[in-house]
Amino acid sequence: MIKATNYKIAQGHLTSRVKQALVAMLSVTFGISMYIFMNGFMTGVNDIQEELAFSTLAHIRIYNDLPEDRSNLLVNYYQGDKLVNLRHPKVIQYTEGIVNADKVINTVSQLDELAEITAQVNMNVFYRNGLTQVNGMLAGIDATMEHRLFSIAESMKEGSWVALDHRSDGIILGVGLAKKLSLGMNDNVVVKTADGVTRNFKIIGLLETSLASVDNGKAFIQINVARQLVLKNHSYATDIQVNLKDFDSSREVARKIDTLVGYKVESWNDANGQLEAGNELRNYLAIAVSLTILLVAGFGIYNIMNMTVNEKIKEIAILKAMGFEGGDIVEIFLVQSIIIGLIGGVVGVIFGGVVSVLINNIPFELATIKTLPMAYRMSDYLSAFGFGMLTTFIAGYLPAKMASKVDPVEIIRG
Amino acid sequence: MENNTVLSARNISKYFYEPAIFQALKELSFDVKKGEFLALIGKSGSGKSTLLYVLSTMDTNYEGELLMNNEKLTGKTQNELAAFRNANIGFVFQFHYLLPEFSAIHNVMLPALKLGKKSKEQIHQDALENLDLLGIKDQAYKSANKLSGGQQQRVAIARALINEPAIIMGDEPTGNLDSKNTDIVFDIFRELAEERGQTIIAVTHDDEFAAKSDRVLELSDGLIL
Ligand SMILES: Nc1ncnc2c1ncn2[C@@H]1O[C@H](COP(=O)(O)OP(=O)(O)O)[C@@H](O)[C@H]1O
Ligand SMILES: [Mg+2]
Repeated sequence: MIKATNYKIAQGHLTSRVKQALVAMLSVTFGISMYIFMNGFMTGVNDIQEELAFSTLAHIRIYNDLPEDRSNLLVNYYQGDKLVNLRHPKVIQYTEGIVNADKVINTVSQLDELAEITAQVNMNVFYRNGLTQVNGMLAGIDATMEHRLFSIAESMKEGSWVALDHRSDGIILGVGLAKKLSLGMNDNVVVKTADGVTRNFKIIGLLETSLASVDNGKAFIQINVARQLVLKNHSYATDIQVNLKDFDSSREVARKIDTLVGYKVESWNDANGQLEAGNELRNYLAIAVSLTILLVAGFGIYNIMNMTVNEKIKEIAILKAMGFEGGDIVEIFLVQSIIIGLIGGVVGVIFGGVVSVLINNIPFELATIKTLPMAYRMSDYLSAFGFGMLTTFIAGYLPAKMASKVDPVEIIRG
Repeated sequence: MENNTVLSARNISKYFYEPAIFQALKELSFDVKKGEFLALIGKSGSGKSTLLYVLSTMDTNYEGELLMNNEKLTGKTQNELAAFRNANIGFVFQFHYLLPEFSAIHNVMLPALKLGKKSKEQIHQDALENLDLLGIKDQAYKSANKLSGGQQQRVAIARALINEPAIIMGDEPTGNLDSKNTDIVFDIFRELAEERGQTIIAVTHDDEFAAKSDRVLELSDGLIL
């Protein structure tokens, strides 16, 4: 522990140069609050990104991929020097979609990591109203389950999302798509599939998600109705969407599911590398900027402590002459920077929180957000304080060590 | 070696290597008795200060041997020497070097607080007595930088005495004082040597001061005359 006498001397030094100490404290405060704000803001942006991404994207998607590239079909059947003539080779997909989706869902549901799972039948269709014809996506879904994965009901502009579960003739259209077709609530729309099957639906809801691909070109119907449209059995699905308790584990869980089912299993980050890359780049940026600022704060402390040591060099010499050891001298000066760091740090953590709240309240309207995003994570506050203390410790230790090496003879003889 | 020898220097040599190699002390050997008031004199540059800092244990870069109370000090670590100085040696310099943020009495208490042998109350009382001895008890609670030069030097002496060191060393302790204050300091040293049996080793330029001491060592070019 710090000896009371050394502490007293340190206190004397600090109170004799309050102004400089205050400036050094402020630089720590600034560094730490910037660290908190930068990291909170970047995490906030990342969270918003993910929230937006996960409004259409599940953590894991299971689907039937095209067969692998078999341009050289003969390799398995003919070896060695043989001349073979093959005309018009074609890759034929024997099975389309997931034939027995219930079985896959049952298997995957056993996993502890699983949060939600739902099947979809997705297809490309034409939407017709009189002579107007627009092509787009049609998703057959279980409305309740779909909402559990994608919180889609919150984006309803008109009508009720879950009502779809009770209306086999109902369809919910993106607002942009409805506009293109000049249709509104309770109007009828004709859907025509690629195989030429047509069917009439009643618009029971309009969806506005702020994602153009959904709003301008997608509609939703009951999954069983969709199966009828593509003439498939009652367990058919094109996609099975899975959400996990922790989306960070998507890759590993996807690999695990891959061994259980015979279909293509893809995690959100494998399917959308740019999302993850963006998140990581923002995190690096936040860390780089905030550590730079802390470094500047460290220089502030280093500077003031260096000045103090130079100014007090005669005192150091006399203390050593009186029998204070090198360790005492280190203590005397290190205590000063630690006090500066602690006070500056505590104020910085509070100030960082206040700044974050203020920034978080600045209006900023884009897509679904209303104000600038901000995350409040305990870990940011702790590491800001931790890094701050580490910087002050190092910045204070160097001059203190230098002070302890002062040769009293050289100073006192003058 | 007689029993009342407090300090022995044996073949002490000291070299400086910058700017050119130079021998400042040349195989000096002498003993100092307990309660002796020793004055170190000599021309400027003769090696007085250099010798004093070797004797003080602050300078360890010398040849030869240094013994205090039959204990060999040569070869001890810096921390051991620091502890030794704290308990056994008191310093008075030409400049007082008080801690300006502290009161006079707190400055006096510092070495004793560092030594940690007595309670804070006891140290406080001892410090007051020492200030009284030097005639500045009334200045005890003033901030050190608010005292006059003579008062500050007396506070520095009180500080040197607080741990009742066996030896008190001074490098021109009166060099900065007027003749009245010089007399006061001299009388105090005299009294400490005679009444408390403390050994005084003081470098001085002041012939009058030297003349009143028990013994004078005169240095010339690193040799004792
Ligand atoms: N740090 C040093 N480096 C080189 N030479 C020194 C150093 N300190 C003292 N000297 C030389 O040693 C000699 C003795 O110096 P010093 O002991 O200070 O003399 P004084 O008797 O005046 O106190 C002088 O010639 C001085 O120039
Ligand atoms: Mg000198």
